[in-house]
Amino acid sequence: MSLVSMTLAAEGTPARERSAASRRARFIRPALGLIVPLVLALAWEIVVRLGWSTGRLAPPPSVIFQTFVDLARTGELQRDTIVTLSRVAAGFALGAGVATVVGAATGYSPLLRRLLDPSLQALRAIPSIAWIPLFILWLGIFEASKVTLIAVGVFFPVYLGLMGAIQSVDRKLVEVGRAFRLSDVEMVRRILLPAVLPAYVISLRSGLGLGWMFVVAAELMGASEGLGYLLIDGQQLGKPAEIIAAIVAFAIVGKATDWLIALAAAPFLRWEDVVRSE
Amino acid sequence: MLVLDHIGKTYPNGVHALGGVSLEVELGEIVAVIGGSGCGKSTLLRAIAGLDPASEGRVVLDGERIGAPHEKIGIIFQEPRLLPWLKVADNVGFGLNGRPKAERAERVSAALRRVGLADKASVWPRELSGGQAQRVAIARALVPRPEVLLLDEPFSALDAFTRTDLQDHLLDLWADAKPTLILVTHDVDEAIVLADRITVMCPRPGRIFDEIQVDLARPRDRQSAAFDFVKRRVLAALDRSLNRAPIGPGEEQKADEGAAMWW
Repeated sequence: MSLVSMTLAAEGTPARERSAASRRARFIRPALGLIVPLVLALAWEIVVRLGWSTGRLAPPPSVIFQTFVDLARTGELQRDTIVTLSRVAAGFALGAGVATVVGAATGYSPLLRRLLDPSLQALRAIPSIAWIPLFILWLGIFEASKVTLIAVGVFFPVYLGLMGAIQSVDRKLVEVGRAFRLSDVEMVRRILLPAVLPAYVISLRSGLGLGWMFVVAAELMGASEGLGYLLIDGQQLGKPAEIIAAIVAFAIVGKATDWLIALAAAPFLRWEDVVRSE
Repeated sequence: MLVLDHIGKTYPNGVHALGGVSLEVELGEIVAVIGGSGCGKSTLLRAIAGLDPASEGRVVLDGERIGAPHEKIGIIFQEPRLLPWLKVADNVGFGLNGRPKAERAERVSAALRRVGLADKASVWPRELSGGQAQRVAIARALVPRPEVLLLDEPFSALDAFTRTDLQDHLLDLWADAKPTLILVTHDVDEAIVLADRITVMCPRPGRIFDEIQVDLARPRDRQSAAFDFVKRRVLAALDRSLNRAPIGPGEEQKADEGAAMWW
């Protein structure tokens, strides 16, 4: 068989067959992720039903589910989730926005980097909780201090990630830009930003994760609504089921927001030449 | 006309890469630059391109001094250096950004047809083979219609078959607009197939050692006796350049007996 006809034969594998298999795989893969939590939940339910544990401090899934239903019925769950979600969203938008501008500037300009980076690194070392008293003093106990705290949390991973990514852009590609006489702005827009997009998306997801962490800190320190408030409320009223329900809510909503970023970024990252771990 | 006037280059770390290179290249001429490693061929090319401007001397194109990348000078590197986030067609059209969309699309598709990759216009660079990617890079460099095209060992990363294929292809493309080509290579065959003139450089510091005219009619037969004769002259010159044996004013350029591998 000639090389040409062998190639044609290989490419002739019915495309329908291959895409059907990949469609099946796309449903199976997320389903696989649910197996471990479901098995553990089931096991715990059985342990409590059989009486091996009172299930008082660690309520079984059925009780937690019931708590969810009760909270949803009074509307508390929805209200708290939306409040926390909007705090994270506002803080994320603020922190990621500022970090993108500052990170792009320090990544591109060595002078700006030498001016700003040392101070920013010093600020990064301050633990999140330490900011709380200061922000409450400056910005009050309501939304402003919380959103600012979340923004601070989101800022650093995005800033570091973007700055580092810009500095690591392949010199060979930058030279192509120089050979085509791109201006500074064009260089950033047409070569640097697309080149750093994968690393930038990762830094955004990392920032979002930190944002969720910081929202808990913010809400633990004085809130009257939100999932963090639900957490404290459960603790003070001695309702472990409420605590765990709040934690589960955090897990679900946090994962959902991360998934949203990955989904939104996916079409812009189709060009990547890497081993796909999806 | 492209004039190199006593080009010298000393890097900040003190390395004296080029020491006084002077060359005149006519419009439409193909000049190959060949030499042992460290003789400054790539440095010379990058100085002409304006990417690493010379520390002494001047590069003058059509009376205009070149100190930075210029729109009349295009360059092709050893790697294709395609932008991975752009499809092939967008890569080829990269240098045409100021142009109206219709004109850009037309020139891009014409260029892709010319390099035989019209069916790959909407493909990602990662899906191309080495030879295909280098062809796209050539199309990208030729689309803005430069007067001078610099090629820095463009085919050295490819296998022998693809290399000879692309050499012939390059001549074909060159015949379209006949830009001035300056080709840096370490493949003697490639230099003889392509060039009107072969400049042999010697190292430490890099300067021109010898110049060999290739007066063979194109298309050049790699198997012919005339080709072989030129090849022996070039290899002999390379040998001498690396021995740093001074070549006197009246010395004949004779092929040494059994001049073979020069590295």
